[in-house]
Amino acid sequence: MSLFRRERELITRNEFVDRFDFAEIENFVRHASKNLFISHRFKHTDKMLVQPRGGFPTYDKVFALYEEFTRAGVDVLPLTIDSNTRLNDYATAKKMLALSEENDTDMLNGYPLVNHGYRTTRRMMVHFDTPVSLRHGTPDARLLVEMAIASGIFEIEGGPITYLLPYSKNFPLDKAFLYWKYVERVCAHYSALNEPINRESFGPLSATLQPPVIVIVIQLLEMLLSLEEGVRSFSVSFSQSGSMIQDVVTANVLRRLARRYAEEFGYGDAAIHLVYHQWMGAFPHNKEFSDALITTSTVIAAMVGADKIITKTRDEAHGIPTKEANARAVAGVQYTLGMLQGIPSVEDPEEEEHLERMVVEIMEAVLNDGADTLWRKVFNAIKRGHVEIPFSPHVINANEVITIRDPRRNIRILERGRLPISDRSFAYEKKQISLRPGEKVVEKIIQDIGIMQ
Amino acid sequence: MKVVTGVVGNDVHVVANRLIEISLKERGFTVYNLGVNTYLEEFLDALLETDADVLLISSLNGEAEGWSRDLKILKSRYRFRKDVLFVIGGNLAVGEVDEETLVPRFEAFGFDLVYHQKDLNESLDEVEERLRERAA
Repeated sequence: MSLFRRERELITRNEFVDRFDFAEIENFVRHASKNLFISHRFKHTDKMLVQPRGGFPTYDKVFALYEEFTRAGVDVLPLTIDSNTRLNDYATAKKMLALSEENDTDMLNGYPLVNHGYRTTRRMMVHFDTPVSLRHGTPDARLLVEMAIASGIFEIEGGPITYLLPYSKNFPLDKAFLYWKYVERVCAHYSALNEPINRESFGPLSATLQPPVIVIVIQLLEMLLSLEEGVRSFSVSFSQSGSMIQDVVTANVLRRLARRYAEEFGYGDAAIHLVYHQWMGAFPHNKEFSDALITTSTVIAAMVGADKIITKTRDEAHGIPTKEANARAVAGVQYTLGMLQGIPSVEDPEEEEHLERMVVEIMEAVLNDGADTLWRKVFNAIKRGHVEIPFSPHVINANEVITIRDPRRNIRILERGRLPISDRSFAYEKKQISLRPGEKVVEKIIQDIGIMQ
Repeated sequence: MKVVTGVVGNDVHVVANRLIEISLKERGFTVYNLGVNTYLEEFLDALLETDADVLLISSLNGEAEGWSRDLKILKSRYRFRKDVLFVIGGNLAVGEVDEETLVPRFEAFGFDLVYHQKDLNESLDEVEERLRERAA
């Protein structure tokens, strides 16, 4: 038995897991319906796929949610995992699941997939015969991903950087890289049996004034870490920035560079997709304004040519939406998309050249590190502050970069910290910014974070 | 002047924490930011290690009381070289509790300045004022 197989046997064996039947699971994946694979959908349609967010503790509630979504014309179903499972605390998840089932109140903020197990969950996935995307936020997702693929969930979101730095203070980053390496290898392994398993990175990061250069660098790095383990279908993503033109510029540069780096590294055969998240910051309380925001962001998604859009609801400022409200949002986005045929392509060559130069400057600094493997180079870059995420709670994050909006609402770098961007690039960024005399940077930041409220 | 700051307890409100750090730096303080999810003991250890003049604890989820009520007992176990100014601010209660009730309660825990749902810059102006009075 190979070392990797032995490791998988160990990971999938604990008191919360029913016997893991690898032969049966491989057989299931090999003969699974093509409709369950988002990679297959991407290949055969030009339509932007619509995916909402959502998850509940019990099987029945998720089933009812999926029925609601299906009636609304959903393209991709979400399965959001609860926070205990994200921290590998299956004992608490088990207790809370039992309480949720007995009392008909939700004691978990998502679906505890490990406790439900793959035999149960697979019944639901096969019933709906629609691609499902696993949404979590887990630094050690080894068991969770084994369980997901065995259930028929063939898209896995996350990555060692994007599911760690925005979410955790102390979880060791080097461990996250190794645990995600396992996840990539499992995805690559199953990809050989049928259509490819799609991996998706989480571009919104901390969703607070994220400069596009950092978003793109991290998307490229997680893509390369995934492709190098054998994954051949990957989605890069980012979220609405608050500036329409900056979103267009970001998309154009991200799409171009993802393709270029994949080819340079010898993975030209990989399929790469672009995912757009509707506004991830604070929403207005006014629900009509929320509708306007959601519609505008759907228009931007069409302008940037996204392959998939991940939706919000008009109830965002008011808590977790009901399944009905969530489904109405899906129907609304589909309706808007129907109108958006044949949008002319938009570009801004000067801004794109500037952004692309900055990305390449940081990528070169990361890749020129003397470490022997890519993950170590990336680890070193983060440790040194060559890559950092503004507003990350993690102890390893440098917290030196400061960003604010220019008069056109583009997010610009005011303090570059230790980002290895050239003086020329930095000067271009600074030139766009204008602070009123005496204006405090902090007040400006607070305003710039809350522009949609 | 040196300040130790961070968010007390199981509270991950990182945006406010980072804004406080930026404000303090803008005002010329040397800042030791312990970040989110910090326990009271860690704050006091950091005061000793850095020889800081001010401890500025923030809290947003309303659970500060449970996490900081032992400040007085804890303080008596440390020997600081300086007369440290103890400050707490943010959203200090779950639900609606008025300031007149909250401020004396936190002062009794051992805080010199208490800010409940107050503007960040105005509060920091007062902190600086108090530091000037002490120096005089």
